[in-house]
Amino acid sequence: MSGFTASNSRIRVVETVGSVDETVFDTDNDMPHIVGTTYLSNIAVDFDDLTETRNYIGEECSPTFTLEEVLIYNPATWEFVLVWNPGTWEWAYNWYYSSTDRVYTPGFTSTDRVYTPGFYSYDFQYVYNACGAYVPYYEFSVDAEEYSSVTNIANLPTDEDGTALDIDFVIVQATGSRTTAGKDARFNQALPTTIPAKTFSFQGSVLLESSGVANGNSWFRRIMSVYTSGTKLKLKVQETVASIDRGAYNSAFPHVGDTRSTYSFNFKVFFGKFRQ
Amino acid sequence: MAIVLKITPTRFRASGSKLDSQRRYIRKVASGEDLRFVNGQNMDVSGGGLRYVRPNGTNVDDGVYNGSFSGTAGTRVKV
Repeated sequence: MSGFTASNSRIRVVETVGSVDETVFDTDNDMPHIVGTTYLSNIAVDFDDLTETRNYIGEECSPTFTLEEVLIYNPATWEFVLVWNPGTWEWAYNWYYSSTDRVYTPGFTSTDRVYTPGFYSYDFQYVYNACGAYVPYYEFSVDAEEYSSVTNIANLPTDEDGTALDIDFVIVQATGSRTTAGKDARFNQALPTTIPAKTFSFQGSVLLESSGVANGNSWFRRIMSVYTSGTKLKLKVQETVASIDRGAYNSAFPHVGDTRSTYSFNFKVFFGKFRQ
Repeated sequence: MAIVLKITPTRFRASGSKLDSQRRYIRKVASGEDLRFVNGQNMDVSGGGLRYVRPNGTNVDDGVYNGSFSGTAGTRVKV
């Protein structure tokens, strides 16, 4: 049956739902409540650029070509050539008539055989040198890295004696933005970030950035965590980087120097307890 | 005018209905929780991967994570 009881130091409210008495409020229970609120402005999070290493793979032969003057024998040749003998008009004396006539002889084609004797000449030719030099080749890889930093960003609320309260939970209401958008080392595109443009709340940790390889496996993560330790509220920033190879020789990662990301956050921190 | 205290056979209200038997006030319980309050770090990264610690304290790894972080289970609360 629904009811309210107040006895000694206990207040209890019960709501009967169907035939079941459900506790609505009971001061003997540990009930979450907020014991302090802190506003923190311009919390900076800064991830440095990644680094890469040039790895020696081996050497490859680099053929060379030399331009040299060489003596060349050009052999003799026989060739058939067609020759056109044009038609001709000639004057001939006609004894019978004592006159001069014009006589035409038609043109014709004949074949002549022409001989060209062999001869020597000088020419310039590229001469191939099978392996003139050995050239080292390299593959670049992003350096594996584990980075972590912890900073104190606030003191915990205190009691009337100035003693830090034993906080049971923290709720962070955050706004913020990425002030420097780091790029994926491989591509000319910013790393995807999970930070929304508007206010968001979290308890514990937040994934800030990540990236994967071709099969979808993660190789890169950046996170932050807010939690209490001792008498302080702490911000922990972590980055993990697995080494990845460039996949091509003598080609550095084009944007490894653009991978730095920075964030600026404003936190409204609620410090909570279950029991005074 | 705000209700200071009103008690009927089926309902209790006090302090301007901030305390009302028809509402649900979350409280810490030993078992039978409806949800958990997470406290502390609940993600870790290592080896290029990430571990997420569920509110019940169990780990979810991304298949790449190679660290040894162990978070704590959240506090059980009932509505």
